[in-house]
Amino acid sequence: MTPGVQRMKVSVDKIDYYLPPKIEDNGLLQSENPDWRMDDIVKKTGILKRHICEEGQTALDMGALAADKLFSSPEERRSIGFLIFVTQSPDYLFPTSACILQDRLGLDRKCLAFDVNLGCSGFVDGLAIGASLIESGLAERGLVICGETYSRYIQKTDRTCRPIFGDGAAAVLLSRSAKPALGPFDFGTDGSGYQDLIVKSGGARGASEAKAPCSIFMDGAKVFMFTMDAVPKTMQAVLDKAGAKLSDVDQFIFHQASKLVIENIIRRLDLPPEKVFLNMQDIGNTVSASIPIALKDASRQKRIKNGDLLMLVGFGVGYSWGSCLLEWGEAS
Amino acid sequence: MNEKQVLTTIEKALGLPEGKLNGLTQSSEIAEWDSLGHLSILAALDREFNGKVASIRELASAASVPQILNQLKQHGLLQ
Repeated sequence: MTPGVQRMKVSVDKIDYYLPPKIEDNGLLQSENPDWRMDDIVKKTGILKRHICEEGQTALDMGALAADKLFSSPEERRSIGFLIFVTQSPDYLFPTSACILQDRLGLDRKCLAFDVNLGCSGFVDGLAIGASLIESGLAERGLVICGETYSRYIQKTDRTCRPIFGDGAAAVLLSRSAKPALGPFDFGTDGSGYQDLIVKSGGARGASEAKAPCSIFMDGAKVFMFTMDAVPKTMQAVLDKAGAKLSDVDQFIFHQASKLVIENIIRRLDLPPEKVFLNMQDIGNTVSASIPIALKDASRQKRIKNGDLLMLVGFGVGYSWGSCLLEWGEAS
Repeated sequence: MNEKQVLTTIEKALGLPEGKLNGLTQSSEIAEWDSLGHLSILAALDREFNGKVASIRELASAASVPQILNQLKQHGLLQ
C-alpha cells in the first residue's frame, strides 16, 4: 500500500483555543511607525489587529489555558495517552515544554509527552503523529496543542513581520473513531529555504550567527514563491491519494498566512471563495495555531457542519508543509 | 508575452501609470516597489504566466526590471 493513502479511524473530538486579551491594532502600528503605508500593508495582509501575549506569558501558559477548555472532569484528563505540543516558542531549551504541560494539565504520568518544533505546518504534522499513535494502538486518545508567541521575536520596527504575526494557542482532543475520518496526509520538507524565515539566536549555531537577540528574519518574497509552488502540489497530492477532486471538498482550512498568500492559492486552483475560510483579520497569523483556531471559528460560524469533508493545509517555516483531509465529526 | 507586456504587468501590480517603467528600471527608483510591492509583482507575473513562474525562485530576489526580464528569458517564458 502506498504510504499515507489510507484514512485513519481517528476523529477530532474537541477543539478550542485561547487568545491573550492584549490587542495590537494597525492604528498602533501606524502611530509607532509613521512612515509605514498601512493601507498598502492591509491590502496584502488582510489583518487589522492581532493578540499579543502579556509580559511573562508564554506559549505553554496559553496552551494550558486552551487545553483546559477541553476537559469536563478529572477522569477525562487521566484518559489522555499522549500530549504533543507544537511550538517554536518553548519555555526553555530543555526540559521539553510538553512535560511541563503534562503536569500543569493534571494528565496521567503514563502520558507520552513531547514537543514538535515546527511552525506553520505544525498542526497538520501534529495531527498525523497523534493519529498514528491512535491508529497503531499505542494510545486511545490524546492532545495536540499548538502555541506560539512570535511577537517576542519581532522588533517594533519590523514592517515585514509585525503586521502579520499574532500570539495564541489552540488544543484538539483526538480519539479513536468508529469510522475512518482523518487522512490521507501529504507532507513535504525543503530545508534549502531554512534561512528565509529564521530566528538565529537561542540555538547552538545561532550563538555565533545572530546579529540581534531573539530577532526574526523573513524574506517575504522567497516565502511567498515557496507557497505558490508547494501548496497547490500538496493539495493535489492529497486528492490523488484519496481518489477525490477539489470539488469534493466542502471547506478548505488553510494556515492563515496572509490575505495575499491565500488569495493566490484561490486563484491558482480556481477555488470557490465561499469554500475558503478566512479569519486572520482580527487574529493575525498565529503560526501552528492558526488552522485549529480557524477550525473552531468555522464551526462556531456554522461554515462547517458534521459530515463535511475538510482539507487542512499548513505551510511555511522550514520550509515545511503538510495537508490532509478531515471529515468533521459528531463530537466536534 | 513580450517585454512590453511584462512592463505593463509590473506597472499594474504596483499601481503605476503606464510608461513609468522601462527596461532598465531599478526597484530602488520606485517608491511603490518595496518588499510588499514585490509580492504584488510576483503574484501578477504568476497570474499572467499561468502559474509557471512559481518555481523560478530567483524572481524573489530580482531587484530590477532587467533582472526580472532576464529570469523570464532564461526560463523560456519571454519572446
